[in-house]
Amino acid sequence: MSSTTDSTTVAPVRRPNLINNLFPSVVSGIVFGVVAAAVAGVLVNRLTTALSPDGVPNDDAVISAVYTAWVLFFFIGIGAFNGVIKWAFSRREPTYAEELQLAGKDQGLWRYFRYTTDHKVVGMQYLATVFVLFFLGSMGAFSIRLEQSTPGAIYFNPSTYNTIVGMHGILMIASTIIMVSGPFGNFILPIMIGARDMAFPRLNALSYWLLFTAIPIFLSVLLLGGFQTGWTGYAPLADQGLTPGMDAYCFTILVFAISTTIAAVNILTTVIVMRTRGMTWGRLPIFVWGVLLSVILSLTAFPSFIVSQTMVLMDRIFQTSFFLAASGGNNWLYEHLFWFMGHPEVYVIALPAMAVAAEVAAVFTRKPLFGYRLLVGGLVGISVLSVIVWGHHLYTSGSENALTGPFMLDTELISIPTGIFFLVLVGTFWRGQVWVTVPLLFVCGVLVNFVVGGVSGIFLADLPTDEILHGGMFVVAHFHFTLVGAGVFGFFAGIYYWFPKMVGKRLDPALGRLHFWLFEIGFVGTFSALFYAGLQGEPRWSANIAPPFATANTIASLFAIVIAASVFTFIYNVIYSLARGEVATADEWGAKTLEWTVPTPVPLENFEQLPVVTSLPYNYGSPLPESPVAPAADIAGAAIEAPIQPQGEA
Amino acid sequence: MSEANIEGNAGSASAAPAPAEPRHLRRVLIIWAVLSVVVIAIWLAVAQFILPQAASSLDVADNFTFLILTVLAVPVSLFVFVFLGYSLIVFRVKERPTEDGPPLQPRPSLQIGWLGITSLLCLFLLIWGLFAFYQETSAAATTNTLVVQVTAQQWQWTFDYPQYGATSQGAQVIEMPVNRPVEFYVTSKDVLHGFSIRALGVRVDANPGETTTTTIITPTQIGSYTVQCVELCGLYHSYMWEAVNVVSADTFNSWITSQGGHL
Repeated sequence: MSSTTDSTTVAPVRRPNLINNLFPSVVSGIVFGVVAAAVAGVLVNRLTTALSPDGVPNDDAVISAVYTAWVLFFFIGIGAFNGVIKWAFSRREPTYAEELQLAGKDQGLWRYFRYTTDHKVVGMQYLATVFVLFFLGSMGAFSIRLEQSTPGAIYFNPSTYNTIVGMHGILMIASTIIMVSGPFGNFILPIMIGARDMAFPRLNALSYWLLFTAIPIFLSVLLLGGFQTGWTGYAPLADQGLTPGMDAYCFTILVFAISTTIAAVNILTTVIVMRTRGMTWGRLPIFVWGVLLSVILSLTAFPSFIVSQTMVLMDRIFQTSFFLAASGGNNWLYEHLFWFMGHPEVYVIALPAMAVAAEVAAVFTRKPLFGYRLLVGGLVGISVLSVIVWGHHLYTSGSENALTGPFMLDTELISIPTGIFFLVLVGTFWRGQVWVTVPLLFVCGVLVNFVVGGVSGIFLADLPTDEILHGGMFVVAHFHFTLVGAGVFGFFAGIYYWFPKMVGKRLDPALGRLHFWLFEIGFVGTFSALFYAGLQGEPRWSANIAPPFATANTIASLFAIVIAASVFTFIYNVIYSLARGEVATADEWGAKTLEWTVPTPVPLENFEQLPVVTSLPYNYGSPLPESPVAPAADIAGAAIEAPIQPQGEA
Repeated sequence: MSEANIEGNAGSASAAPAPAEPRHLRRVLIIWAVLSVVVIAIWLAVAQFILPQAASSLDVADNFTFLILTVLAVPVSLFVFVFLGYSLIVFRVKERPTEDGPPLQPRPSLQIGWLGITSLLCLFLLIWGLFAFYQETSAAATTNTLVVQVTAQQWQWTFDYPQYGATSQGAQVIEMPVNRPVEFYVTSKDVLHGFSIRALGVRVDANPGETTTTTIITPTQIGSYTVQCVELCGLYHSYMWEAVNVVSADTFNSWITSQGGHL
């Protein structure tokens, strides 16, 4: 954090020219990374050939070396270490101007392509990346629906199909994990708690660019023959040395999990230590609670993902046998490690989206949340319980079933805190000034879809029905109703709500409504048909649909066309609104959280003067017509305490 | 839950509705109750066409659980749908609102009541599930029980009948006699597979290096069903399905002989 903002003392930042723009930037990062990856690949190829008794290189080792070199040298090339090295070898502290340049001030568009530490830049980088990942993932989804529209593997061969399903899974899981915590957690959350930036701005840039380096690694799956395991990457199938695409999968997960862990530590620290005066835990906006609990959950979940993928890589590269029964390993170990991550991860995705829905609902009904504390308790309850439910993924695994009862109990207990969410949301709508804007439409979508997703989960939590539905299309429909129906709809509520603050333009409401209705109708149609197919016993992951399930799948595929139309409506809306959209006002919706008190576009370091918070941001219709935010100077004694703030005023 | 529970808010008498205002809560609860009854009735009427054919007592029980859970799910879902729909229609404002809604907060009795009802639902689900679970696992093998050893491999099933010395493999039809208990010993030669016969309610993973014994089930209906793999096992996973015929004892005996078995 800088120590002063007095603009007269700030030295001018150097004028950028093309060379300055390219070095360092993402361009030099890619150049460094690619060159280093090529060198590492050749070296390890030679080395493993020389060491191998039969003169064959170890493909898995070569690929691992290539990816490691790519990640490391990308960061050298983009200048991630420049600041640290300058600081270490320099005899003086960095000047304020240098700090500002690192934060991306005065670098125009180029700051989005650099190792920029400003939380708003990182938030926009995440947002753009989420859009790209979503688009790639939805192309995978449409390919799946195309193949499953008729029986038999017609459009893709089974190998390609399995790869597409796996890529669709990973792209969507990764992008839904970051879709709220990435763009809004970085851009909006610090402003919401009255901070000037994240607690660790450089780690913030690191977490984003790690995500960036994972994308080429993941796309290289296509060049390396794909992978057959689907997104779950179950060993021992993953141990089979069929294609090196599996290594790309494992590496993607490693890099992505590290990126997410760093981001989680950063957000957690930010919320703990960077809240402004008066922003007590009891006054934290519900969105902040959702993101906070989500990142805490990801800190418990993702280490086990890193562990399981490291073990698979070791099985593949060094011929260990963690998961090979013939040499003393066990596939249940993988399943437990995977689902110990996999189930909390669902709530890592859902919690922030649910919190967005609550935040938006309060604004557009002009009512306080119907039981703020109750909802916080509910979200905490969900995150605690979700750590101990993973065993329900192993009901039919054939392993010892003594724990089936306890896992059934835990899983069903989650419906209690989830029920609180519905009580609070429905109660917030009740008798409100219901202003049906596009964000609120998406909140309604969250509620409707999440009810279906939630109650269909009951069928999978209870053993007698799980044993006819497990591993089938019913599961697919269920988790799409939770992850898309609650998660992605929550993200869209957030994007229509915060786009005016983040970009300064309004998204067109008419196109927004069209987007919502196409999405909702297409989505419900597609996955209702798949519920039916799953109930009839259709297995997941099928390139070759059996004839009895053909009709339901054809219907699902037809509805998928409607979803496709909604995707293109949204893309058109974003492009149209960026080009011609109306300019948004600073307080676009009449909301009371802090991000709407700062100007649009949000200035560097957000606040002229750090605000002092005196109440929850939901004091609508309160008998005391008091603003939730008071400028520091209005509070008695503030002037005395002002120097405590990172940024004192004269 | 009563009107007072939702509307009450200490210290804000202004939030109380004017006498002329319709009684929203009563209305919405009536709509909810009526719709729930109607939808449950429709579901019970059409369920037989939606639920797939069950060919064993276990699968009949599983389908029945599905039916019951759905009946429970209808009022739960409709509660959210009806309250939300009612709010969207009745409390909608056309323009950007100039005034705030009433600052309603849930009474403790409402909160505790809500938690109580959801807990009771939970308890019901748990007891139902545990009961079915222990009923299933308590079935003991009899001397009459047919043993079928199921071996999965990429990408085919092998069925051994050790009591008869017969084997059926690959694309051939697998047969089982009707009304005779069957126990499957499931294992895999390579990777994880999922052994599933939907109509018989059998679904368990085939693990490499382990043999899993399934619940003993008794096929009760003569007919042709499907065995399929329900865990992604690689390239031809989606081709790993075959016909399972449940046949009369006589037909089964002649089939076993034709497979090289002895009676």
